[in-house]
Amino acid sequence: MNTTEIASSEWRGRAEELKAEGWWLADLCGLDRMQLGFDDRFGVVVQLLHRERKERQTIHISAPGEPPTLTSVTSVWPGANFFEREAYDMFGIVFEGHPNLDRILMSDEWEGHPLRKDYGVGKVPVDWIEQPVLQIGAPGQAPNADDAQVRLDRLGQPILPEGIE
Amino acid sequence: MAVTQDRIVEKLEAGGQGAYVEFYDETEERMVINMGPVHPSTHGVLRLLLELDGETVMKCLPIIGYLHTGMEKECEDQTWRAAVSIVTRMDYLACFFNEQVYSLAVEALLGIEVPPRGKYIRTLMTEMNRLSSHLVWFGTQGLDMGAISAMFYGFREREVITDFYEMVSGLRMNNQYFLPGGVWEDLPDGWEKAARAITSLLPVRLREYEELLSENPVFLERTKGIGVITKEEVLALGATGPIARATGVDWDLRRDMPYDAYPDVTFAVPLATEGDVYARYRVRMAEMRESVKILDQLIDQMPSGDFKNMDPKITHPPREELNSSMEAVIHHFKLSTQGYTVPVGEAYAAVESPRGELGAYAVSDGGTSPYRLHVREPSFVNLQSLAAMAEGGLVADLIASIASVDPVMGGVDR
Repeated sequence: MNTTEIASSEWRGRAEELKAEGWWLADLCGLDRMQLGFDDRFGVVVQLLHRERKERQTIHISAPGEPPTLTSVTSVWPGANFFEREAYDMFGIVFEGHPNLDRILMSDEWEGHPLRKDYGVGKVPVDWIEQPVLQIGAPGQAPNADDAQVRLDRLGQPILPEGIE
Repeated sequence: MAVTQDRIVEKLEAGGQGAYVEFYDETEERMVINMGPVHPSTHGVLRLLLELDGETVMKCLPIIGYLHTGMEKECEDQTWRAAVSIVTRMDYLACFFNEQVYSLAVEALLGIEVPPRGKYIRTLMTEMNRLSSHLVWFGTQGLDMGAISAMFYGFREREVITDFYEMVSGLRMNNQYFLPGGVWEDLPDGWEKAARAITSLLPVRLREYEELLSENPVFLERTKGIGVITKEEVLALGATGPIARATGVDWDLRRDMPYDAYPDVTFAVPLATEGDVYARYRVRMAEMRESVKILDQLIDQMPSGDFKNMDPKITHPPREELNSSMEAVIHHFKLSTQGYTVPVGEAYAAVESPRGELGAYAVSDGGTSPYRLHVREPSFVNLQSLAAMAEGGLVADLIASIASVDPVMGGVDR
């Protein structure tokens, strides 16, 4: 694979040059590089395709800061719109200059960014706005919210540690 | 327009995307309504926020995510081999393509080759899948245009093809038949006869369909010059597949960047230049006829030999060896319990699915499960072009445009 790395400050300018050379944006996705040994934890991976040369190339751009921030390329390739929204939704990467940076797959009230590595599968209770009432205890006994918590713990349901979204 | 767009966004921000935004602007005589998410012609749970001036669509905002199940995240908890069972469920009308693109990406990471027979079987199944997927599109396109019988006919022929899937893989949908290194099982006895039956039946049926719709005045009225998108818009918005080819973008990954058995077969890439719903209809119908030609060549040229890479470190040993070989038992146990490790690296593979460029980007940290798997779903990207097709047209034409984009919500939302 033909892979290059571009600094986040140069990305927007480089994107315009690449577009002028005839590269077409095939894919853009976020990447949490927590366990991969990069300086910046979050990055964006871009796949480009050159139709005349029949070539592909991959570009890594790190998104520094908290929240991770990067310049949007929707004005260069309008097709990046959904991709960038997905990267924002899943990783919390903020794209500056995006016309409508909103959650795209998760619901608006969702907290956290699911594809981050510290967001565990099955470890985080699905927290909807309205709490479901758990049917526990003996038949006929009114369910109690405190009992529900105890019961869940006894069942070995991992409890959400402090500080994890 | 922009003012009202802001107003929609403002209302959405106040109530969230789940808010039921609907209002009527008396000064501009504009109405904002929701189409979907459970509208019968949105092919799943697609919600479109429409701003209407009478019957004319002024603004079209697709709102997606109703079918999101976090498949990319789930893959990170599976072994490399087991993740096939998740990716196959993404675009549920083109299951084999999902499996193929994932397998190609993992093979690139592993640096392994697929034996010729494995490549041919994969190509055979994906071309069958292209037919069955386009037949569903044919049915829904007809249905949305009021030709209900198109749905019956499309599904009748799809049934024959899903029977073939069942014969080969044991399942009619979500087959889990491909795996990194080849396919799970060899083709069963009698596959050739069953495949020939399909390739001899389809051309006859396709001719019937053409007679049914291609010259039908009602169908022409509803599709010609409707939902027009230009070549420049297609390239800018990233749309691929029949949508792009209907505007004259001469690009097909099967021909231009061939994978699996495509270097060995000859076929034409159907093109059109009008970019309207009818052009997309013509392109897809021609694609089906080309698929039949490819299938005939694949059946003729099917090589013998292994159907998967036989490296014992990544493939289960043959069942009979378990009785006689300790090595085979160890490999079987290791693969079944922890799976195989994949060298550190990243790979992007792309195939031409019925809806366009389907890509898989896989990252390995050297472990037994994917560190990150991202799937570039063509439906997800193509949906962005819907606004360009719909804006300025009538609501009834929007229905035709949705059908001609052929989005599969399982793929859009993943």
